[in-house]
Amino acid sequence: MSEGAFELLALLMRYVYVLIGVLILWRALRWMRRDAKAYKKEMKSLPDAGLVGEMVNLKTGQAQPLPREGIIGSSRACDIRVKSAGVRRIHARFEFMEGKGLCVVPCWRCRVILSGTEVKGRGYALHGTQLQLGGAQLRVRLFAGLKIPHPAYPEDVPPQQEVAVMPWSEVSQLPLFPMPADSLDQDGEADYMPYSAASLPVAPEAPMPYPPADYEGNYTEDGQMTWQYAYSLEELRQAQENYNQQNDEAVPYQSPLPRRRRRSRHE
Amino acid sequence: MSEKKKRRRSDPALGMLMAEMLFFFLGFLQLAIQGAKWESFLLALVVPAIIFAGNEILPRLYPSDRLLLSLTNFLCALSVLVLYRWDAATGLSQAVSYGVGVVAMILCVLFARYIPQWKRFTPLLILGSFAFLALPAFLGKEINGAKNWISLGGFSAQPSEFVKLPLLLVLSYFLSQRKVVWAILFAGGCLVFLGIQRDLGTAIVYYGVLLCMLYALTGSLALVGGLAGGSIAALAGMYFIFQSRFHQLFEYVNNRLAIWRDLWKDAPNQITYGLMAVVNGGPFGTGVGLGNAGYNTRTHGGIPYAENDFIFPTIIHEFGMVFGLILLCMYGFIIVRAIMIARRSRSAFHSLLCIGCAALISIQSFIIIAGNFKLIPLTGVTLPFLSAGGSSMVSSLCVIGFLQGVASRNEAGVHEDRALAMQGGEAE
Repeated sequence: MSEGAFELLALLMRYVYVLIGVLILWRALRWMRRDAKAYKKEMKSLPDAGLVGEMVNLKTGQAQPLPREGIIGSSRACDIRVKSAGVRRIHARFEFMEGKGLCVVPCWRCRVILSGTEVKGRGYALHGTQLQLGGAQLRVRLFAGLKIPHPAYPEDVPPQQEVAVMPWSEVSQLPLFPMPADSLDQDGEADYMPYSAASLPVAPEAPMPYPPADYEGNYTEDGQMTWQYAYSLEELRQAQENYNQQNDEAVPYQSPLPRRRRRSRHE
Repeated sequence: MSEKKKRRRSDPALGMLMAEMLFFFLGFLQLAIQGAKWESFLLALVVPAIIFAGNEILPRLYPSDRLLLSLTNFLCALSVLVLYRWDAATGLSQAVSYGVGVVAMILCVLFARYIPQWKRFTPLLILGSFAFLALPAFLGKEINGAKNWISLGGFSAQPSEFVKLPLLLVLSYFLSQRKVVWAILFAGGCLVFLGIQRDLGTAIVYYGVLLCMLYALTGSLALVGGLAGGSIAALAGMYFIFQSRFHQLFEYVNNRLAIWRDLWKDAPNQITYGLMAVVNGGPFGTGVGLGNAGYNTRTHGGIPYAENDFIFPTIIHEFGMVFGLILLCMYGFIIVRAIMIARRSRSAFHSLLCIGCAALISIQSFIIIAGNFKLIPLTGVTLPFLSAGGSSMVSSLCVIGFLQGVASRNEAGVHEDRALAMQGGEAE
């Protein structure tokens, strides 16, 4: 191509490059706006996004949203702010760990008591675990559906005492409700029945049974893993499917947390 | 028209990709017509194909933010086009750096996305950073007053470019743990090494990143302003106390300050060349292939170091001021996107990492572009993604890799939350 022709071409093409540049910018802007809108919509339907539960101050009753990781302390910058005597500005760090629970690491020279045991190094809080920081008592409440283990069987709990089963032949011979002497009249008839005085055999007090280590879990109606109320996972899924079929689609989850606080968490 | 076709037509990602491919096809074709070189014809086909692969195929192999990837790819490919137009060898070497940078970027994506136990590497990163910054003292060579390059086996690299990555990681870690003093100490240690190398441009970038991250963490202007003011006061005090020694050590800084105060005092200089190239280009440029600002015409009045410090005026010279504004907007979009990713991230560390990345790109771009236009004294830092140089290209793409890794984590987090909500994610 001759120099003159190339010059003409180059002079023409410079407008084309600017046009393509503007087009790229316009497309990028549209993309960003569309993405921002979609994200906003998504977040509206997931008001608890980024949270794993809440931390309740047992003295004030105040509940604070619990993010996946953060800091507990009295400082304004803390994720969980606890204003109480003995709580330092940055008292402890926490991080939710899949399959382990909420890992709590006290800061240097700070005491954290986790369900009666002082945390040395790091401790794992589960749903319902009570935390004591200085004078503050907090309870951890974790969302259902999180991958967290069952409470571990503490080693220092004595094994459950076996209750001796008395054969019926012996039981039938037992003098049930023996009347104390002062409750009988002169004819030997009882004029009242003092139940409190009955000396029934009482089973020795046993610790609450813990689920075995290989226990896969039953579920309460609202999906919380439990070992007390017997709904198997299959039953729960079936119930959910039945419910979905009846209502066309699942009811969106509504959080009990105040809306204002949730919004501020996302912003 | 089927629903799928309609959706595809209105998809901004596809439109943007097509526009980018067309841009580089036409650009390299024009160079091929001018020089009648088969290499340029080949590039006119290969570069759009690489852009297609980068934007469409790579995101399927690893999770990423496609908008960020698309904008970054455009800037990197533009760098290859502009440098190839001035000097084919430099252009091809830039293309190789781009390829290496993409591999490094993928590694950074995977690091930010899949390695949760990265905190264990923090001591190693700190020691590595200091060791790397100390290298130029032993193996370094002095270029333009700063001794910040090392040369090994025919390869030369700028360690301070690579230390940006551990700096971001370590500062994010310390600040997310509210260990502000440790963060300041680490950044201070890096600044001492940069001071020894007399690399003030990079030192300003490091310090700016620290201040931005501190502000993002605390929201306290008083703290950040106090730190900035205190540092300036300390520097000024040292300057007055050790004035003669300062002049001796930072002679090139004095020269640049003098040029900034009076542009025509020592004219023609780098800035006057750059400004004249911009003015000659006008709003729409001279046209690709018709300019004369490139560095291969240095002896004929081209801009000195056009491929590094003055790449922006060089691009404006041929593509025009309007295109320059478009490029500034693209940088703006990258920064806004980084801030969006930071806001969406689930942990303080990732949030701060993104803020640091945004601060790094914005401060570095501002320093060099403002220096080019005499808004501030000129300092020798590279323009991310555009300037020639492997170290700069690789480190800039790694920064984008961190951003993409965090974006992908955010996406996974939203999926988890959705699953949790569907299971009845209420606190018992």
